[in-house]
Amino acid sequence: MDGRDDLSICDSVGAKSMNLLKNILLLFMLGIVGGAFALPNEKRSDPSGSVASISSTERDAQWRLEGERRYRANCGRCHQAPHKLPPRAMAMAIRHMRVRAMLTDDDMKYILYYMTR
Amino acid sequence: MSKIGIIAVVCLAATVVSAAQDAPPLEVDPDPAPVLSGYLAFVPTWDSGNPTLVSIISPVVLVPLSRDFVVESRASFEGDFQQRNGNSGDFTGAIEKSLDYAEIDYIGNRYVTLTAGRFLTPFNIFNERLYPNWIRNTQTDPLIFPIGTGSDNGAMVRGGISVENDLNVNYTFYFSTLSTGKYFESERHAGARVSLFLPVERLEIGMSTQHVLQGTRVNRYGFHFQWQPARPPFEVRSEVAYSREEGKGLWAEGAYRFRSSPSPELSRLQVVARTQVFRLGTLPGSNPDLPSTDMKRTEFGANYYLTDGWKALASYGRTFTSAGDSNIWTVGMTYRFVIPLVPSQ
Repeated sequence: MDGRDDLSICDSVGAKSMNLLKNILLLFMLGIVGGAFALPNEKRSDPSGSVASISSTERDAQWRLEGERRYRANCGRCHQAPHKLPPRAMAMAIRHMRVRAMLTDDDMKYILYYMTR
Repeated sequence: MSKIGIIAVVCLAATVVSAAQDAPPLEVDPDPAPVLSGYLAFVPTWDSGNPTLVSIISPVVLVPLSRDFVVESRASFEGDFQQRNGNSGDFTGAIEKSLDYAEIDYIGNRYVTLTAGRFLTPFNIFNERLYPNWIRNTQTDPLIFPIGTGSDNGAMVRGGISVENDLNVNYTFYFSTLSTGKYFESERHAGARVSLFLPVERLEIGMSTQHVLQGTRVNRYGFHFQWQPARPPFEVRSEVAYSREEGKGLWAEGAYRFRSSPSPELSRLQVVARTQVFRLGTLPGSNPDLPSTDMKRTEFGANYYLTDGWKALASYGRTFTSAGDSNIWTVGMTYRFVIPLVPSQ
């Protein structure tokens, strides 16, 4: 398993456990990949429908506040505040950081909202 | 149940779990546009009294193919210029060129991103997130950095899941093929990393594992920790790497930024301390980038953020080995740039 000589017995219980582990890992990965294609990106819809009880100004303030909180929690952990970029450039940078810094989808959208307004 | 049946159930379960999460709150983001980014660094280093003029240019190109497909690449041009006679004579040296990553990312859905091509090995966090000189708090590489890191040629699936806004679970699985081509070197291995991030506490812990599928087929394990309290401008980072054959070690770093100082000049200052240890494994020399002997090193430094992009730095460290102790000094500047490649709207 990890290069040790004493784990080369194919019929051992350890080998079966290893196979089981491999199968579970394989299934988990397939599940994730399957989920990626089974669940398409959510279509862009009017977000006001879910928060109809508050005004757009209040909603904007809430989103920016949440965006700032997530920005400080995520981006500020590794580096200083970036330049103020045009919205389309920031939309590119945030996708890059989603991959590089493991941002969640919600983090990405809130931070982008905060950084472009 | 057949294997296909089990796979179908797991796929369905993954989809249901994904669909059960809240919908994205924002749907108003603009279309992404190409960006040229990167950094410059000039960090002269005196190790055991011998100076090395470390000069680095590292451009990053980000190109969107659509809202969900992104191509990104980073190259590095580094010149480590040393004096011909150790500490006398003129400086000379070659420019080392490397392609750190050239990958295509597909944002599959809220929880899954697929990556193919050449990518940074997701082992611990330093390689992916802290490596650029304008980001790192201490300029020298950690002693354990060569364990499990570098660049891979292959594919990767990764993502993050928010649990009630106070816990993020991040995962990465990857596979890399063997490549010996110039600028495209990679090792045949497979690995995974899982981390938990508490955004309120700003605390992250994670584990990495990697199994080499060539040569001595070693296993490598990593553990990382990062904490940045919300109020005091203090941060702690640490990594552990273990390979029975190659070696093992850890580093821990604390940094304090005088952000709350009433003096604007002082608020730009950050002081940092890092200590680290490395122990040889059962096959010394199997990883030629690691130290050739057991080693400890402790460093103290200061970073001064002149503007958004410029950083001045200086540090002093002491290296302890069985062969003798030595000093290591650094002083220099880094500059980070971001250039949109299309006119602002």
